[in-house]
Amino acid sequence: MADAPTILTVNTPRPLHGRRLFLFYSSAVLLTGVVSWLFADLLWRTGWSFSRTVLLVLFVVLFLFIAVGAMHGVYGFFLRMFDTQWSITRLKNYRAQDIADISTAVVFPIYNEDIVRVYEGLRATYESLQKTGQLERFDFFILSDSTDPDKRVEEERRWCDLIRELDALGRIYYRRRLNNEGRKSGNVRDFLNAWGRRYRYFMVCDADSVMRGETLVDLVKLMEAHPTVGLIQTVPATVNGESLFGRIQQFSNRLYAPIFIAGLNYWALDLGNYWGHNALIRTEPFMQYCDLPQLPGRKPFGGQILSHDFVEAALLLRENWEAWFAYDLEGSYEEAPQAMIENAQRERRWCQGNLQHGLVLFARGLRGVSRLHLGLGICGYLAGPLWLAFLLTFNWIHWFQNYTGLSSITVHAFTPYLNLSGTAHALLIFVICMVVIMMPKALALIELAYDAPRRRAFGGLERATVSVVAETVFSTLHAPLLMLWHTRFVVTNLFGVSVGWGTQKRAADGTAWTFAIRRHWGHTLIGLVWGAFMWRLGPSLFWWFTPVLAGMVLSIPLSVFTSRRSLGAHARRLGIFLTPEEIAPPMELVALRANMKVHELTEDTSPRRPHAGLAEAVLDPYVNAIHVTLLREKQFNPVYAEQFAGMGVGSPAVRTLSEKLLTGGPDQLTPTERSLVMTDPGTMVWLHHEAWLRPGESMAPWWRASIREYSRQDES
Amino acid sequence: MESAVNGIGALTDSSGQLAGRPLDEWNAAYEKVENYFHALRVRNKALLGQLVLRVLERAAHRAPTEASHSATQLAAEEMDRLVTEWFAEVLQESPAGSDQTLSTRGRLALLLADMPGRWQEQFLRPGPWPEEFVGAMRESFLRAGPDFQLSKMTPRPLDLGPIATLTNLGRIPYLRMVLAWTGFALLLVGVFWLTHGGFGQVKSSLAGVVDWFTQTYR
Repeated sequence: MADAPTILTVNTPRPLHGRRLFLFYSSAVLLTGVVSWLFADLLWRTGWSFSRTVLLVLFVVLFLFIAVGAMHGVYGFFLRMFDTQWSITRLKNYRAQDIADISTAVVFPIYNEDIVRVYEGLRATYESLQKTGQLERFDFFILSDSTDPDKRVEEERRWCDLIRELDALGRIYYRRRLNNEGRKSGNVRDFLNAWGRRYRYFMVCDADSVMRGETLVDLVKLMEAHPTVGLIQTVPATVNGESLFGRIQQFSNRLYAPIFIAGLNYWALDLGNYWGHNALIRTEPFMQYCDLPQLPGRKPFGGQILSHDFVEAALLLRENWEAWFAYDLEGSYEEAPQAMIENAQRERRWCQGNLQHGLVLFARGLRGVSRLHLGLGICGYLAGPLWLAFLLTFNWIHWFQNYTGLSSITVHAFTPYLNLSGTAHALLIFVICMVVIMMPKALALIELAYDAPRRRAFGGLERATVSVVAETVFSTLHAPLLMLWHTRFVVTNLFGVSVGWGTQKRAADGTAWTFAIRRHWGHTLIGLVWGAFMWRLGPSLFWWFTPVLAGMVLSIPLSVFTSRRSLGAHARRLGIFLTPEEIAPPMELVALRANMKVHELTEDTSPRRPHAGLAEAVLDPYVNAIHVTLLREKQFNPVYAEQFAGMGVGSPAVRTLSEKLLTGGPDQLTPTERSLVMTDPGTMVWLHHEAWLRPGESMAPWWRASIREYSRQDES
Repeated sequence: MESAVNGIGALTDSSGQLAGRPLDEWNAAYEKVENYFHALRVRNKALLGQLVLRVLERAAHRAPTEASHSATQLAAEEMDRLVTEWFAEVLQESPAGSDQTLSTRGRLALLLADMPGRWQEQFLRPGPWPEEFVGAMRESFLRAGPDFQLSKMTPRPLDLGPIATLTNLGRIPYLRMVLAWTGFALLLVGVFWLTHGGFGQVKSSLAGVVDWFTQTYR
């Protein structure tokens, strides 16, 4: 691990947000204004029309989005180059802070996850924390919301294995809810209602989170040093990418995110945001102010707030608590989707959540900066349909021009001193747009060039430059697909239509061709039809559109090939898309990968029989004991006791169901009935007893087969 | 082990039956008991055989008087009784209890004390047992969390401002009636426009589109 940086103690008054916000957004507006002026002039030259007004409005909005993005890059670049004291890690010398009496919970809310990966991430974090000597100040909680009975049983069994291996009995806890009310935010709320008052802080992790122990300790010390701070959000580094897509995403995250977040911190400062995980939260204000209300109206906008994080941060800020981005604190990691389709699935969920923020945007009492955070999130998804509308309007104008036979250039430029031809005028605007879009990438590279340790961490400037070029080519092809996806997500959400995607069909080495065809045939068709239309409209125009069209037409092979691990590994051998965590992996990630490899090599990965979890929970004497003990303990919580009673746990009806289960097999029961049986501790003990004591012929063949298989499996 | 074999062997009669039951029946009983001990991860074959025979011997003694029960049933019951009695002794708890709490606790204690890994030879063996083993068994516990410190988070009202009005549009009285009137007004305007030159415009626009496509794709 790198040496601890020298802390420059700064005692400064509360920063002037107004001035920073004005400066930052004025820069974006100024740039947008100048370029929009040039664009309006170009449109004016060819004769004004209603469709040109629409095009101009769309241009202004879209350019403002990219200008805001570019300004994050520019401001972040200068801040990183010339240093800044305005980071929470530099405001006070927090490292000397005593945290001896401070208790912190590290929570992992999970929902039908790959439990091996979740627990190995937890193990890596736990062991890293152990090395700091501060382990006793932290408790770990696995907060399960899993609905799949097989997953639930596996979670319990592996949790018991984990605590035995780590000798972490009474240090790592496992709690499963009886229902999924409120999804992830409800899961965390349930934890807080049961144990929140025991902990001054809680760290929310995602299923794929890994935290360095020292970072966890630093976060607690930072909180202790700043009693007015309610939330510190770390900036997780994307790691463990293996496919080409995963490695490209990981590379862009590691190279570009630092300057973007530094830019974000410039205007947000103590009015930062919460991204839902890898953040430390002060429990008391969170419990007091951040229980989310139901939104009025029908789904998808009404009801439960899906993307709870932004709103929770806004509610904390409303009550004058501070939220900071600890963007210069290393040791916070997460993983990203490994294929374009998986990524789009995640985008779909986020899109719905962000659009729902439209209802909260004008809530009374929120801080203006919170509205900005919410608004930027919404804009991220509206940009797709707006870009599509821009391109279609542009096409319409050209088609109309062709159809009416009007000449393209009718008058001189409104800015005659530029002395530009129509084509040169259009080219100038295009070049400006490209520069603004590419500027953050270029600045990230320049910053890398000036930072020798970081340059080495990316494999050298030459490799990083090649990687940026390759990443730019890929993102150019990917962007039109995101445009189409986002448009679909926004439109379907606005009309309240749920888009079913089903499960990802994976080949051994990534996305299967058939699955890619099913997901992308529409994109390909749109690309081909649009391309044919553009070609007819004019070959010169067609060539301008090729980057957009190529992404669509090539979507199927692009999706399949970028999901390939082999191509990811090949790119790595060539030194492309290298990241600091690939070149010098931190101990936590080394341990995680090693343990995952052990699982991969030693565990049977063949598909399990249907209802394998039920068989295990009933037949395995130890798993049954764990399962029943956890269920019995729930009864001490009045909330769960009430839910048990409501479900009919302990009633004769459940015993009747379990008798039916024994004699008829699991298929005789509905999933709800099976779940009810598995939730009844008394019945589960009874089933274990009966399944082993009853003569085989009095039970369903499924049980006899399970007992046989179970015995053989144990023998093997 | 020898005593167990001798014990059960003594119950074999001249017709080749064991305690009045055919050997096949005892074979099934053996398998049942062995499977359960397998499930408890008793992997030492010698120990496993010895334990199974102990159970079968107890079952064989009951067999002549309980003709209605199969050998498998008797063996399963004896296995359960033997294990529960042993748990009661080791954990110093009463074996009584209809909810099988002792059985659950005992199995959990076996796991947490690592009987399958460290103490296999102690399983079902009469006491005294090594102190470390007894300590590990008795101190075993499993908890989903620390002691509850219950509270209740309550959502604070959030005034959504003007948006709330939009979401409440559906609740505005006579909304449907107003929408119907608006639709009627739009229909009147549309018909008026079509009959005052609009129809010609639509017709020429459509013709233009058709012409363009015809010319382009000819």
